[in-house]
Amino acid sequence: MRLHKAIFAAAWMGWQREMEWTNPALSLFIKTVAPTAAVLGAAAVYWFGSSFAGLFTPDRLAYIVVGASLYAQVGAYAYVPTAAISEGKWSNLYPQVYITPTSSIPYLAGRCLASFADSAPVVAISLAVSYYASYALFGSPPTILLTVNSVLMTTAALVVSLPAALGLGYILGSYSIFVSRFEWALPSYVSGLLMIFSEALFPASILPYPLPLIAQALPFTYLMRASRAALIYDSWSTFTTSMGYLALGGLILLIIGIVAFNQAERSARDKGLIDKKVM
Amino acid sequence: MQANLNLWLRSAYSRAWVRVKSTYGEPVWLAVNLAVPLLSSLAMALLYQSTGLSKYTGFAIVGGIMLAFWGNVLWSMASQFNWDKEVGIFEIYLISPAPISALLVGMSLGGILATAPSAALVALIGWAFFSTSISPSWLAVFLTFILTLASLYAMGMLLSSLYLAYGREAESLNNAIGEPINFLSGIYFPSIGTGSPFPFALQIAASLIPLTIGMDALRKSVFYADGISAIWLNLLILAAMSAILLFLGDKALKVLENRGRREGTLVVRLR
Repeated sequence: MRLHKAIFAAAWMGWQREMEWTNPALSLFIKTVAPTAAVLGAAAVYWFGSSFAGLFTPDRLAYIVVGASLYAQVGAYAYVPTAAISEGKWSNLYPQVYITPTSSIPYLAGRCLASFADSAPVVAISLAVSYYASYALFGSPPTILLTVNSVLMTTAALVVSLPAALGLGYILGSYSIFVSRFEWALPSYVSGLLMIFSEALFPASILPYPLPLIAQALPFTYLMRASRAALIYDSWSTFTTSMGYLALGGLILLIIGIVAFNQAERSARDKGLIDKKVM
Repeated sequence: MQANLNLWLRSAYSRAWVRVKSTYGEPVWLAVNLAVPLLSSLAMALLYQSTGLSKYTGFAIVGGIMLAFWGNVLWSMASQFNWDKEVGIFEIYLISPAPISALLVGMSLGGILATAPSAALVALIGWAFFSTSISPSWLAVFLTFILTLASLYAMGMLLSSLYLAYGREAESLNNAIGEPINFLSGIYFPSIGTGSPFPFALQIAASLIPLTIGMDALRKSVFYADGISAIWLNLLILAAMSAILLFLGDKALKVLENRGRREGTLVVRLR
């Protein structure tokens, strides 16, 4: 019960931090503009090259639009835990959370949940805007199946990706405990590498061997595959298989994350780093 | 007059020196600055390659190079005064005799020198991975590059002045405008002229961004051997944009500085 309350309080705080610093509608707009522009940028790259080569297909455009939209969600998970810890160290919040009875594991879980809650609408909006903007700009809308089933299946995929997001959050959180400068460096690399390895824009099979194996091991790759199976290919078998891998991979990543974070906190406590300020 | 010029130059030099020294004295900065431009340009180059369009991977690499500088303009020019205000340095600027415009110009020159290694690494790694063929007209490339940087950093000075009026909104604004400007300016694909997916009105709007004009000229001069005679209009527009943005930045800074002094909000911190 105490755990639920702690997670809820942290999620509420995360929501306040991300969305309530100004009018929530304005906040959502500001959060949506950048990912939508990024989706359209990727779509424009594809359109430009493929039109000249006569290789343009709306299916491939849909592949890019769906993947790039979901990447906004995946990319956000790389930054939120780092912000929670590094800002918390700067404002002295993190040491105070650390000494509470439930400590920081539910705190980070709550912050990641808040990130899920505020970036899920961003995915939906950027997907919708990109759909219509693609039609206006490229003269061909991406072939996205918008049915109740496909939307529910994509939502389910996003929900099942939560353990993976939490796992990534704990791993990056354990890094943030130790750094007092350049705290954004690792999340920037992780976020950028996820763009390449999670099949956000292209299939991992185009990468030279053994790099595709990295993509196969990432749960976020299966989030992309499950969502595309729902929104583009209408393939129930691909969807269920990908969901299975996503759940399993997410669970493994979550366990690794919690173990890493606990060890990092213990080590940081031994070294007196829990309340070391971020410069 | 001589004394004023001397003070201006010394102020600019010292601000540039701090920025260069802080970057080259801490090599980790290189790795930090490299992440976004390198990985996003590699991703876009792979996107070109995945659709069987390997000949355009160079567009993504050149985009990554310029993204390094645009990132520096956005995060280390536009929002710099805001951060300086947070840590109390801005107050010191105000009470010192150093002209603020000299500090901004110094910050720009220092920023260019500090970003150059990251941009060079994006080029080296990108070309090593994709072996893109280029056909450059070097004088045109050099002039375009210099003028694009001049206009971009002049835009950074203008944004820096405007951000003085904002508090923590500055960070959110930076997050919000970064990608749309990347998109409109065609960092990775032509957004104006032949090959642009944009309607004419949007191309005109995109042309108001210096990066759009610069990227268009860079692609022409790097990949299609277009000389100065072919891209003179781009160069002229970039030069004009640099002068106008520099002038507007200086004016905006004075207006906002005066308003801030009058209202007593110039050095108000957030936390």
